[in-house]
Amino acid sequence: MATTAGHGHAGHDDGAHGAAPAHGRSPLLLSMLLFIGSEVMLFASLFTAYFFIRYGVPNETWPPLKADGEPFELPVVMTLVNTLFLVMSSFTLWWGEQRLAAGDNKGLIRGLWVTIFLGATFLLIQLNEYAHLGFTPQDRAFSGAFYTLTGFHGMHVLVGLIILSMCLRRAYKRDFSTAYHTPLTAGSYYWHFVDIVWVLLFLLVYVI
Amino acid sequence: MDPRPLSYWWGRAVYGAVAGVLFAFLLVFLLRTLFGFEPLWEGGVYGGVAGLIGGIGFLWGIGCFDFWLGWAKGADISVEDHSFHGATNWRHYFRLNTDHKVIGIQYLAMTLFFMLWGGLMALLIRTELAAPGQQFADGETFNGFLSMHATLMIFVFAVPVFGGIANFALPIMLGAKDMAFPRLNALSLWFLPVAGGLFLSSMFTGMFGAAWTAYPPLASQGTMGQTLFELGVQFAGASSIATAINFLATIITMRAPGMTIWRMPILAWATGVTSVLVVFATPFVAGSQFLTMFDRVMGTHFFAPDQGGDVVMYQHIFWFYSHPAVYIMLLPGFGIISEVIATFARKPLFGYRAMAFSLVAIAVLGFGVWAHHMFVSGMAAWLRVPMMITTIIIAIPTGVKMWSWLATLWQGKIHMKTPMLWALGFLFTFLMGGLSGVFLGVVPIDIQVSDTYFVTAHLHYVLYGGTVYTVFAGLYYWFPKMTGKMYSERLGQWHFWLTFVGTQLTFLPMHWQGLQGMPRRVADYDPRFATVNAIETLGSYMLAIATFIFFYNVITSWKSGPKAPWNPWRGKTLEWLVSSPPPIFNFDAIPQVVGGPYQYGIPDARHAVVFAPEEFGGELKEDTRYPVLVVANQTLVSQTLIDEIRSRDADGLWSFQFVVPVGDDDRSIAERRLATTLAILAGHGVAATGRIVEGDVVDVATEAATEAVPHELVLVTLPLTQGAWMRADVVDKIRKATGVPMSHVVVPADDARAITGASTLPMVMVVAGEAVGAEALATAVRARADAAPARFTIVLALDLSEPRWGAEATERRRTAGVAMTATVNALVSTGVAVEGQVMDDAPSVALPLAITAFAPAQIIVAGVNGEADALAGAVQEAAGDTPVEIVDVGTVAGS
Repeated sequence: MATTAGHGHAGHDDGAHGAAPAHGRSPLLLSMLLFIGSEVMLFASLFTAYFFIRYGVPNETWPPLKADGEPFELPVVMTLVNTLFLVMSSFTLWWGEQRLAAGDNKGLIRGLWVTIFLGATFLLIQLNEYAHLGFTPQDRAFSGAFYTLTGFHGMHVLVGLIILSMCLRRAYKRDFSTAYHTPLTAGSYYWHFVDIVWVLLFLLVYVI
Repeated sequence: MDPRPLSYWWGRAVYGAVAGVLFAFLLVFLLRTLFGFEPLWEGGVYGGVAGLIGGIGFLWGIGCFDFWLGWAKGADISVEDHSFHGATNWRHYFRLNTDHKVIGIQYLAMTLFFMLWGGLMALLIRTELAAPGQQFADGETFNGFLSMHATLMIFVFAVPVFGGIANFALPIMLGAKDMAFPRLNALSLWFLPVAGGLFLSSMFTGMFGAAWTAYPPLASQGTMGQTLFELGVQFAGASSIATAINFLATIITMRAPGMTIWRMPILAWATGVTSVLVVFATPFVAGSQFLTMFDRVMGTHFFAPDQGGDVVMYQHIFWFYSHPAVYIMLLPGFGIISEVIATFARKPLFGYRAMAFSLVAIAVLGFGVWAHHMFVSGMAAWLRVPMMITTIIIAIPTGVKMWSWLATLWQGKIHMKTPMLWALGFLFTFLMGGLSGVFLGVVPIDIQVSDTYFVTAHLHYVLYGGTVYTVFAGLYYWFPKMTGKMYSERLGQWHFWLTFVGTQLTFLPMHWQGLQGMPRRVADYDPRFATVNAIETLGSYMLAIATFIFFYNVITSWKSGPKAPWNPWRGKTLEWLVSSPPPIFNFDAIPQVVGGPYQYGIPDARHAVVFAPEEFGGELKEDTRYPVLVVANQTLVSQTLIDEIRSRDADGLWSFQFVVPVGDDDRSIAERRLATTLAILAGHGVAATGRIVEGDVVDVATEAATEAVPHELVLVTLPLTQGAWMRADVVDKIRKATGVPMSHVVVPADDARAITGASTLPMVMVVAGEAVGAEALATAVRARADAAPARFTIVLALDLSEPRWGAEATERRRTAGVAMTATVNALVSTGVAVEGQVMDDAPSVALPLAITAFAPAQIIVAGVNGEADALAGAVQEAAGDTPVEIVDVGTVAGS
């Protein structure tokens, strides 16, 4: 009898304990949702810090001024394009899952490749933006909050890319089928979460 | 089992940690050189990165990642690999283990170890405060002590300790074979020594002194220890979140068939609700510590007001976790107390659903009160009143719980065993803390006593009551299940009473002290507080002695305590249906839950049925039941004994063998008692056999237990001073001679006579006249009792003449009463279940009434001196189909 659940590629659905029938929920997907809930709260705490700093800016000038007296300026247009890349990657991942549901493993592999490519592009553009922003985390409280938020998000994109790469490897090994794709689903939950957080971040930090 | 020795794993762990630290130093050095950071040496940066990578190196070394890394490498691994599961010797407790029972015990050992360190810090604090002026620690050192005390107690004791208890008990209570993710479970556990190690290692790098709350700007200054603190909190937080997700996945997806959420024990509710709190609140403390760490390590300005930072923001984020954290440290304790109180009061838990909903309510409200810690912080003033209102509202669900516990105790049959003592101690201590909490929730009072010892008193009453007492209640409650051994009840009681008195001595005066204005977290104080401080220090030493007793008790009992039966407390929940300690995958067969978990005192109520494996089919058969040996003589037929056997029988696991030792007394009496008992039990559908053996009780019990080794030996006796063979050492003698798990049931002398338990036997009504009081009547009844077990009611109709309130009537009633008592006593003492009934009316009126009331299965008319015919005539008509037997018991002199 299995005493572990969800870590394996034994081909059966996870959590298949003899003693736990009939609840019909996958512990792995449930845990991923809970973990994402936890991550949402982590970003909530960082956003809280960001808004405290934002509303503490003297004279309500926005964007606030850098240490050298110039206002912080963020490359909104470039980031908008970058945002579209990331949003697109969610749809390509969804497309890949649809292909798998239709029994097309090759389609899934293509979808994953495109998704990973778009995610990596996003990350590279973001790094490039860091290099050309003209301020550092040490500049003012605002810049610290900006780098913390975007940096944490970037780390999450990286983790998401690792998860998707692992799914890709398993897709090559034909581990997933129309009947069994729990790890892939969990990975895609995570990727969509990373995506949605970025859209929020873009709206709250760059746009307004 | 994995054959690699401990030295391999710990060698790897040390190697991993050291290599991680060295790598971190190299990495930081290279990066700082590369990017030209000045100065090259910055202790906090090196320390922080070294702590992180060294910690991960340790986790790798101890083996937490082996499975996943093996999977990623494509090595030949299997989810069915159980080589790290379970413990067959002590070494298996000191390395990675995936068995939830082992992990639970590892959790407890580890958190109690940190509790000892935290307690040591508390003793240092109290010793410094024993008298005004400086004893041995300056202000800086004192800050270090109290920061270390609080940090260890909260992050690596109070929060994770419940993870230990729930890890052990919860999967079994739910009927699962393990947690949902055993390897993640192991990882959560091993995060803890990393967290605690980081906290403790700060003693070598300069202790952090910003208290457990670590407010900036104080936390932005200070030594490298502060960075290690921030890192340690991250590890502890990661541990909490991983465990909480694991608990939720277990509770939601791994319950046994029939275990609906409304049949879950309250501990499962409490753990589930707490886990939700952990999952959604803990990221906030992670966030707050990330920000302070970035300020310290990366040079950001989150908390530098001149750079646009905001220190109050830290408090908001921190308390958004740390207030729910109070409930994280309390709610599982509430669950434990609910288990303990219901079991030891032998009553269904009062208001089960209200208990469950109030847990949820506390958790939900707990998210909306954080700013009551900040009334004096300079936060937005409009937040004060809403936070005050939500804070006070929390007292309502808490009150629901408090009253439900009291209502469970009300008219319960309370057993004052050690776990129950802790539960009752909890009720008192936590009530005190809760009430002062309501005080503190009120804005003006809070502003008045902020940062005084009143707050210290409040939080220690809450956490001592809500965490320490409940943890000890749980530890004593499940100790037999965890270890398979019984703890020493006497030492347990000493531990409780010393702790209870010590708690009150230490923390009660702090209320007064705080109201008088003594500030907390200060190493020196005004001489007028000298006396109370001395008393408090004394109290804290008492607590230390009590803790010492506890550890002595645990260690000696585990090593050489008496064996524990499966179910020493007669609990109803599932963990008591498996052996002590439980088998490796908890259940040999899949349990089927059929009822609520707290149906104490409800005859034949069952929480669960254990089914045999499928190939054997269905419920356990009679011949697969485990034998329980019951040794009793004078207490046979008593209500207590019958109830005891019936409640055990409701488990569906046991078959009962009575052994009745007889000495010089009449063997026929014992035979009669045994026959009656077996007949009563048979009437309840309980399978039992019995035999009479001549000899001393110790010899007889030992012989019977060695012939066929029973699962448990139940010795049923009268109280110490009343029984024929109950000597002080009988229990120990039998225990030593047999080595079998033993329970001792004491039956009060009054109860030993009661026959209410005999209700399943046929009722025989004995109609007597002048024979009452005569030995001849008793002999006749005994003869009937020996023929076939029955219960008897002797009816005497006095035929009083009018007026019935006169002196003559009173005198006749009294004489008849004395005579009836004599007969009943003579019969009861020889093992007959009998009652007497004296009626005023003439036989022709009284006897038909009696027949209607008692609905006897048989009527015996026992007449003397020729009265039999008259009596028989009186019953004949009312008797109907009931057989009537007329017995002439001869003549009685003097009538």
